[in-house]
Amino acid sequence: MRQTTSLLAAALILAAGSVRADTVEVSSTTLLTLGDQTRGGVTGSEPELVTAAPLYEILNVSARGVTNPLAKDLQLVVSTWGSYELADRRWDNGTGSNLTGDVTTAYAAGRLFGDVLTFRVGRAHVMTGVARMLQLDGGEAILTVPLGPLGLRLSGYGGVPVSQRFTTRSGVRSWNPVAGDLAYGGRASVSYALAGRAAGRGIDAGVSINRVEDDGDPVREEAGVDVRIQPNGTINLFGLGAYSLYDERFSEGTVALSWAATRKVHVTADWRYTAPDLFLSRSSILSVFSAERRNDYGGGVRYELGRGLDIGVDYHLAVEPGEGEDYFGHAAEVGLEWRRGATSAGGEIVFLDAFENGYVGGRVFGKQELGRIFLTADVLTHVFREEVNGEDLSVTGALTAGVKLAKGFSAVVSGRAGMTPFLEQTFDVMAKLAYNQTYRIREVR
Amino acid sequence: MNGKLPLVLAAALAAAGCTKGMKTESKAEAKRADVEFPHSTHVDQGIACEDCHAGLEKSVSLKQRHLPPKEKCAECHDGYSGPTPESIPPARLSFSHAAHLPKITAKEKCAVCHAKLPEIGEPRFVPPMEACTGCHKHQLDYNQGRCRPCHVDMKGLEPAKYYTHAGDWTRLHGPLARPSAESCAQCHDQTYCAECHAAATTAARPSIIYPERVERDFIHRGDYVSRHMVEASADPASCKRCHGVKFCEACHEQQNLVGVLGGPRDFHPTGWANDRASGHFHGDAARRDASACAGCHDQGASQNLCVACHQVGGPVARSPHPPSWKSRHDAADIGKNAMCRACHRG
Repeated sequence: MRQTTSLLAAALILAAGSVRADTVEVSSTTLLTLGDQTRGGVTGSEPELVTAAPLYEILNVSARGVTNPLAKDLQLVVSTWGSYELADRRWDNGTGSNLTGDVTTAYAAGRLFGDVLTFRVGRAHVMTGVARMLQLDGGEAILTVPLGPLGLRLSGYGGVPVSQRFTTRSGVRSWNPVAGDLAYGGRASVSYALAGRAAGRGIDAGVSINRVEDDGDPVREEAGVDVRIQPNGTINLFGLGAYSLYDERFSEGTVALSWAATRKVHVTADWRYTAPDLFLSRSSILSVFSAERRNDYGGGVRYELGRGLDIGVDYHLAVEPGEGEDYFGHAAEVGLEWRRGATSAGGEIVFLDAFENGYVGGRVFGKQELGRIFLTADVLTHVFREEVNGEDLSVTGALTAGVKLAKGFSAVVSGRAGMTPFLEQTFDVMAKLAYNQTYRIREVR
Repeated sequence: MNGKLPLVLAAALAAAGCTKGMKTESKAEAKRADVEFPHSTHVDQGIACEDCHAGLEKSVSLKQRHLPPKEKCAECHDGYSGPTPESIPPARLSFSHAAHLPKITAKEKCAVCHAKLPEIGEPRFVPPMEACTGCHKHQLDYNQGRCRPCHVDMKGLEPAKYYTHAGDWTRLHGPLARPSAESCAQCHDQTYCAECHAAATTAARPSIIYPERVERDFIHRGDYVSRHMVEASADPASCKRCHGVKFCEACHEQQNLVGVLGGPRDFHPTGWANDRASGHFHGDAARRDASACAGCHDQGASQNLCVACHQVGGPVARSPHPPSWKSRHDAADIGKNAMCRACHRG
């Protein structure tokens, strides 16, 4: 394995000398955060505060239109980072070492045989059908076959679900959300295009299947149907139904409508069903204790009031298992946002009422650009219905200042302070130097 | 990660190597300048488009701009010594005027697509996509995520009319991506999606890395530690989409939330263990939201606290399975999953 890795590394370095791309985007972020975190200590003692000061280097490189003899529109995408703990280890370090790092995303994608076969190989997410944003070290292939007015698309994927810092993928000992060491599946869909000037009109309907295993045991076995219907330029209706083949009941369902009623008014409505216990691994002992169902119904309206001012209102009724009978919870949000020139500002009021707890929250934020300098402020507060750790109020505020330097560099410093149920006083600082640049070798063909 | 680190670094280097000899372009440079030419004055005098934009009928790429030289202006404007028309960055499109113009039968051929000509001080007008879809049936291309034949590189572009991410986009984008992921991929690299969705491998949550982006609808903003149990109980499935059990444990262990019942940091309410009448009985709570239990108690069947009491032949004789369980599972299932054998040892 080590020899294969070295050979691949050498081949890639050699390729760097001869490969060219239409567009290359590079971003590098050097980031230092400093703040307190709580630690529980031993049983019987009060929690203590420790200081965590991780220094990160985050690197993203995306090369598109890479010239090569095989694939069209070849893309190479890498997003990776490393960090070193200058003080105590942060809680989400993910390893027992002060020096760590990971690959967030790394894949090659392109098209073969004209536009017939699209492939993606490496570390990437699978989004379609019942894959449910499955992050894999593996590959996905999509075969597109035009059949007169219809388009047939077949996709298949397989690989190893991703965990943190290249540690074990097995569910019990990793951060891997699907809790398995092998995943595969696919989707078959048919598209039908409706004629007309509005782009995208048509129907796309698909069936999909997904299986995840952990050491041979089933973790997830799901099949589903999904559909998107766009009868005209303003209405989009879409939905999904997912069925657990292992537990023989529905795990997830959604029907949603997005409607641009006028140029200024956008209406959404949706129903969502989930069986949360089916999101647990089938290899988890806890999966045998529950067969719960939840339903959300609701919608929202966004309205452009004019002069850069937008208002949005959303409400959802949540029907969840209560004590003996269903509990009717509520989630609501009212938001206002204003943008004009170099200034933007906004505010939100949120309300959540669930069986266990709930809150009323508020947020105000603003951003002002002054030439190359920008300033932002962000204050967030929540009042809890039931006390959390003996307190019912959380308030945090952040002030950030930045300056755009030359040649794509920018520097940002930020301070966040507040009082929370777990910290009577909290203060964090962040400083970063970022580099964002797009290199274009040609714009047209 | 030891053995894979060289591979990762090499991949980054290979991608970075593609930049050799390229020009950098900032967003400010890419912005198109306002028009400095009065088209209407010239058109009203009967001057044909091709009189100034000579050779356009043979043009196969937008790279060929066909803007008139200063001498062309001087043909009518004696002694003209103004600026040569500024060369502007072309649209990122594959387009051949040579292929299109012969097929247009209208008398005013150019006006079919260029319905409005820009005037002095106005922003540059680009024919809208309806100019294409008026003749070409591109709906199937959109449905199949096939924008590239015409659009060279859509990354960084913002949709002007169709496909705008309006409404409650944060809520709707997931279900919309299920049938349309390849359409999303035309504009978005997965690094963009991974900012929120790659919880296992990302450096930190986006609101920590980008505190200056106050307008973005980032996940878990602010004091999420205090809210996480409230939001998790309101939508238990949402946590499991991104976070494995060990992620929860990593923090809970450090907070010493793994102590015994009745300990100083035990947050289970009174009556949790065995008092059903208290209203806080653990069995009822687990029926409602087993995911919450999994946040601490999912260390695998062999070490699981539940097994000690609920195993077949254990101190609790009653079956812990929900009433509908038996209709969906039989004895044969025990052989298919090692987890079942933790309790069904016979």
